[in-house]
Amino acid sequence: MASQIALNTAPPRTDFKGPALVQARPLLKVRNLSISYGRQQVVHDVGFDIGHGESLALIGESGSGKSTIAKAVLRLLPNGATASGQVVFDEQDILSLSERRFRPLRGRDIGFVPQDPGNALNPVRTIGSQALEAAALTDERHPAARKALILETFAKVGLDNPQRVYESYPHQLSGGMLQRVLIALAILPRPSLLVADEPTSALDVTIQKRILELLSRLQEELDISLLLITHDLAIAGERAGSLVVLKGGVVQEAGRTSAVFSSPTSPYARKLHADVPALNPDRYAKLRDPGFARLADDRQAKISVEGVTKRFSVDGKVLTAVDDLSFSVAAGTTHALVGESGSGKTTTIRLLLALEEPESGSIRVSHDTVTSPGVSSLRSVWRHLQLVYQNPFTSLDPSWKVEQLIREPLDRFRIGSAAERSAAVQEALANVGLSADLLQRKPSALSGGQRQRVAIARALVLKPDVIVLDEPTSALDVSVQADIVEVLLSLQAKLGLTYVFVSHDLALVRQLAHTVSVMQRGRIVEHGTVHEIFGKPKHDYTLSLLSSIPSVRGEKVSAPAVRRVAQKELAL
Amino acid sequence: MSNAYLTYAGKRLGQAVIVILLAYIFTFVVVSILPGDPITSVLRNPQNGFSEQEIAEIIAAQGLDQPVLVQLWHSLSAFLTGDLGMSMRSNRPVATLIAEVLSSTLILASSGLAVALFLAFTVAYGTQVVPKKYGQGLLRAFPSLFLSTPNFVIGLFLIHLFGFQLRLFRVIEPDGFWATFFAAITIGIPFSAQIAEVLIANLDHEAEQDYAAVARSRGIAPRRLFATHLLKPAALPVVTVIALTVGELLGNSLITETVFGRTGIGSLVQRSVSTQDLPVLQAIVSLGAVIFVLVNLIADLLYPLLDPRVKIVVGRKRRHAAADDAALGLEAGAKP
Repeated sequence: MASQIALNTAPPRTDFKGPALVQARPLLKVRNLSISYGRQQVVHDVGFDIGHGESLALIGESGSGKSTIAKAVLRLLPNGATASGQVVFDEQDILSLSERRFRPLRGRDIGFVPQDPGNALNPVRTIGSQALEAAALTDERHPAARKALILETFAKVGLDNPQRVYESYPHQLSGGMLQRVLIALAILPRPSLLVADEPTSALDVTIQKRILELLSRLQEELDISLLLITHDLAIAGERAGSLVVLKGGVVQEAGRTSAVFSSPTSPYARKLHADVPALNPDRYAKLRDPGFARLADDRQAKISVEGVTKRFSVDGKVLTAVDDLSFSVAAGTTHALVGESGSGKTTTIRLLLALEEPESGSIRVSHDTVTSPGVSSLRSVWRHLQLVYQNPFTSLDPSWKVEQLIREPLDRFRIGSAAERSAAVQEALANVGLSADLLQRKPSALSGGQRQRVAIARALVLKPDVIVLDEPTSALDVSVQADIVEVLLSLQAKLGLTYVFVSHDLALVRQLAHTVSVMQRGRIVEHGTVHEIFGKPKHDYTLSLLSSIPSVRGEKVSAPAVRRVAQKELAL
Repeated sequence: MSNAYLTYAGKRLGQAVIVILLAYIFTFVVVSILPGDPITSVLRNPQNGFSEQEIAEIIAAQGLDQPVLVQLWHSLSAFLTGDLGMSMRSNRPVATLIAEVLSSTLILASSGLAVALFLAFTVAYGTQVVPKKYGQGLLRAFPSLFLSTPNFVIGLFLIHLFGFQLRLFRVIEPDGFWATFFAAITIGIPFSAQIAEVLIANLDHEAEQDYAAVARSRGIAPRRLFATHLLKPAALPVVTVIALTVGELLGNSLITETVFGRTGIGSLVQRSVSTQDLPVLQAIVSLGAVIFVLVNLIADLLYPLLDPRVKIVVGRKRRHAAADDAALGLEAGAKP
């Protein structure tokens, strides 16, 4: 059995016999698949099977070749890519078929659910006109019957008003609705294989949960085989029957999900397993837990926000972005603001940084009042409060060297002599665990993790008391994320920093925060210590956020209350 | 047609009128500060043989003895009522002079535009459906080739080949279909390059979008993908390109008229400049401004109707991440 699977580093396993591997004629059989872009080989000798009605997840970080494999199965590889080996779908080798022979299989037999629903539908055509293309692949001849079929499928994927969706343009719908539309279009011709390439990575967590539930449900109902591409081991564990773990285009480990999770054999799978926040809630407990003592020592809140409201008028309508917001953060602790897009997190950060002025309420950081600003006090605020931005790929000026990037705040505030500045730069760099060799490099010569470390060093160089972390790891791979979190927590322990940590990733928040405020539509609906929020959630919205943390099949550890909400949403 | 659209259209129309007025005033000022005095260079030119009395009459009729501001006022108010004044040289209404030649230039310019659009869309279509091994690269080289060839060179080449050698049209006093056709090609070729460059870049961009891959995964063949998916989003910006280059199109028409020896606005401009016939020049430059502004107005008014993503917002104050955040909040409130 195991010989069917290319195992490059791990010894062949003989202990699993999943249905995917015992089916005599699997629906999709990939053998010795190698793919190159030009001269660079990105997929090496990969093999796996997907049986009828089975689900398999390809897991890996960026550059692992997982999406490339999906594209090879769909025959959507870009020009200049060459694939060798076999991809046998229903007894036919997809790689060697002519495009004319393959086209009838497209959509009818192999469906595709793409990554970013916002970009996966033609922006200048109505949803209906694009749905008709999918309906044209069915046996239905009559236009009215085709439309009826579309509306019926829209209803099946949980779209409330199929007719309205049919008439809409893509930009008029939310990301979650668009992904439902795309799933509907993919299943409409009743394919036997569905390839889903990171189908939820562009969506909010609660919507992510619902979309994954929908995919699983349809897969069972319609007996579709599912090839799921994901970077998220936890999602794969929850959704797929078997797993293939990839790194650098090479299979590290493959097998039944439960086997891979209970006893990963390859070092990479073990590391991946250890780095996923959802699977390791207490990973950083040692570094974090001393901070809880500081919560009790409530003499001096580092940050206090009281009754802050901010409204915007957009298109003549007044929107309340932040509504009567109050929270405080004790010195040396981490306060997490969690919520989905539109919950007011971004506005809260902008208010904290005095980039927006609130209509009412007050914000204090250390001793400085952020609201009612004078220029001098704002400069003081900005010195003591630094921001680490979400995406290190866009937040660093690409034409500057690392040394300039980190030194800039010192220059701006005219702190110290030239020698002192360069010493401070060195110290900041050492604090984030980067070597001084990198000082003369430009951001393009750094990896994503190194870039974010530079961004953190840049925030540290002014020796601030407070760092606002705006989704600091959401653009990074999970193993890189683990490194960054480790850096942040050791810095907190060492320098006594106070963090405001903004995130939609509940599992990550559970690992590193001391206190949590849950935001929904500009309001804090629940707040408390991380143990209170995760152990005894009270608000329904908190419950639905918590239930979105994936848990491995058959290993649900969530509280009964969380389960109830999950059931409710399943029924949706 | 929504209220917001009508408000937008009204606003744009008002702006267009203001731009035309400013262009008229600007032209008037530029013409009046040009070196050379029309009175001495034209009227007192012995070749023209005006008597002193005639000169005095012309000066009085044209108001040349008045202060510049008064002249501007008379000229502008006449322009607003549609009166373009009298030519200094031929003593005929400027409007008549222009009307005689305008149709010829408009026919040339519009057929040039038609040729340009045809060439651009054909080349762009080719770049999307012709495989690499059958000369897609050659097609992609066309726009830069077209753009770098001066249009009088193309004109002279076409005259030589089709006029002198094949005798498809008369070279002296050309008229008829073929004469216009080759002149239109002369104008259209460089112009097509500008459109094709934008179009090809947009098509390539659209072809790389996820939606194109998703459409292909539904079994849409390359030609249908081009026609039903890529063409419209890629062609929308072409509306703007055409509007912006219409001035160039008119300018090229003037050159081409000279090369092909056609009567048109080009020959009228040439005569008026050499004789410093200011009223005619003023009228032609203003006419150019009117055409340019009108075409851009039409493009601006069409765009929101063509592209569903363009939303007209009246009185938008400011927009940034935080406001988007808030706007998203409303949307998230709706059940996904």
